[in-house]
Amino acid sequence: MAFAWRSLVRQPARASLGVVGVAAVGALLFDMLLLSQGLVISMRDLFERVGFDVRVTASDALPGQGPLLANAVAHASAIAHLPSVRAAIALRLANAVVQKNGARGQYTAFQGVAGTGAHPWTILRGHDIGSGPDLIVNENTSRRAGVQPGDRVTVRAFCSGDTQALPPVPFTVTGVAEFPFDTPNGTTVATSLDMLANTCGGNETGEADMILVAAREGTSPDAAAAEVVTIVPELRVFSNEQVVSRLEGGGFTYFRQISTVLTTVTLSFAVLLITVLLTVSVNQRLGEIAALRALGFSRWRVVADVLCESILIVGGGGLLSLPLGALLAAGLDRILKRIAGIPADVHFFVFEPGALQVHLLLLVATAILAALYPIRIVARLPIAATLRDEVIG
Amino acid sequence: MTNDSVRSSVNGCIVEATHVSRIFSMPAGPVTAVADVSLRIAPGDHMAIRGPSGCGKSTLLHMLGCVETPTAGTLLFQGSDVATLSDRQRSLLRLRQIGFVFQRFFLLPMLTAWENVELPQAEAHVSKPERRRRTQELLEYVGLGARADHRPSELSGGEMQRVAIARALANRPGLLLADEPTGELDGATGEQIATLLDRVNADGTALVIVTHDQGLAGRATRVLTMRDGRIESEVQS
Ligand SMILES: Nc1ncnc2c1ncn2[C@@H]1O[C@H](COP(=O)(O)OP(=O)(O)O)[C@@H](O)[C@H]1O
Ligand SMILES: [Mg+2]
Repeated sequence: MAFAWRSLVRQPARASLGVVGVAAVGALLFDMLLLSQGLVISMRDLFERVGFDVRVTASDALPGQGPLLANAVAHASAIAHLPSVRAAIALRLANAVVQKNGARGQYTAFQGVAGTGAHPWTILRGHDIGSGPDLIVNENTSRRAGVQPGDRVTVRAFCSGDTQALPPVPFTVTGVAEFPFDTPNGTTVATSLDMLANTCGGNETGEADMILVAAREGTSPDAAAAEVVTIVPELRVFSNEQVVSRLEGGGFTYFRQISTVLTTVTLSFAVLLITVLLTVSVNQRLGEIAALRALGFSRWRVVADVLCESILIVGGGGLLSLPLGALLAAGLDRILKRIAGIPADVHFFVFEPGALQVHLLLLVATAILAALYPIRIVARLPIAATLRDEVIG
Repeated sequence: MTNDSVRSSVNGCIVEATHVSRIFSMPAGPVTAVADVSLRIAPGDHMAIRGPSGCGKSTLLHMLGCVETPTAGTLLFQGSDVATLSDRQRSLLRLRQIGFVFQRFFLLPMLTAWENVELPQAEAHVSKPERRRRTQELLEYVGLGARADHRPSELSGGEMQRVAIARALANRPGLLLADEPTGELDGATGEQIATLLDRVNADGTALVIVTHDQGLAGRATRVLTMRDGRIESEVQS
């Protein structure tokens, strides 16, 4: 290794070129790895932070796009009584225009919840909704509609299936909250399921888009899901893990495919670069190498030197690639999130130890692959002919 | 500088070439570099090989040094047929029994004189203290004890060749092979190298030198003249 190091620093410019090249390629590679799993991992995180382990819906459609779940409130309370379940809430999704005394209305997402357990949001100011016409709003809504806890507003709802304009209903804003699935610019308001149904015209009482279930302490989400299925066999019951793996199998695979293709291309460049650098370097030293062989150095020894040089270049570049990749990922994440309307807490690039391992593995493979051709030259070097050529040439 | 194992080898001979030939097959047809040469080199021998350019001197030397294999005939190194040895075994044999000195020195430029001399010992797994002792001894032997920390680029041609000779002797070989060792040096410097090689031989190492240098060849006790791949004559003194 020390020997290989000395050989490398003989040509500092060339060695640096290799290291910088690998650092750049490695940074991209690292980002691809973070990207390939990023969305899935951060979705899983998000689900976990919301505090519910199992979701029950009427169909496989995305939340808010499928048919409503009939008797959701009754189902939720039945589910809440299961031994493995700590809490269950019914959640209905709609849209609304929130307006404060004659000002311009603000279009928002509109949620209604019913059932036991904590609401799927975090109160920032004021207090949570009670049973009356109470409304909580997120920061964006508070700012854009100019509403604060204590303000009186009207809400006109747009509910599933209804196309006709519904009459405005008066609400009191009780608090400002953070909703886990909000996009950075998203506006959301929430009230009780009853009040939402009321605002929707009151003809869909007890219906919801989904039931969110929290497993009891010490019970696995899958066990809770299994128990829930037994009392609502006609509904779709998924643990967060199952939802995430469905995402993985669905649209998120594009990210994996894109990053696989880019990773392959990127690595090929790294391999080519290092191969060229090492080959040039080996070809310049053929006489020395032949002399070492004549002096009794084994074939393995001269091959190992080339391999060590490759590992040093790739290792140096690989080390640099980590901070570089992290910086790049942070920048790209910000850009991508500005484009896509996804929850503020969901990230495209997410670090996990597995990514580091794969990164390491791929770099080691790069070092070996890149060394193959120059190793072949060294291993097959005809000693006598090379010594002769070096004197004549 | 003696090597007891060589001295006591089976038939009292380090290398024995019997009817060896080396033919290179080239696109334009086969080239016979060495044709039917028989030769024995005994411990302590001092041999020079002369002859016009292209007559096969280097090829013969490379065969004696086990870096080239004959296409015909047999080559015994200390009694064992070189053709039957694996690449690894031949490497080991060269490492421990044969020293090479080249016209162009081929020192490693990134290593100091000391490190260049130490390198073959490390490859032979000689212990660190023994290596230190031996390297010091060798550098002093070739008159470069004070230049141990110098890189080849900081040495003159003659000094580089002396380091190369020290490197070739590092593992106490019984046979030292040199291909035009003074080919790149001026007359006076060549003379110094010749004197040094004389001393190496006097201290017990068999020497085979390919050379055009009349002065260098004149010091040998056996002078071989080659022509067209064959030995034209051998003069003993
Ligand atoms: N590796 C080789 N490939 C082809 N021809 C070679 C090779 N080595 C030597 N020869 C040929 O063999 C002949 C002898 O070469 P060489 O032993 O180098 O001669 P010398 O050292 O006496 O000048 C020359 O004609 C040379 O062209
Ligand atoms: Mg020659």
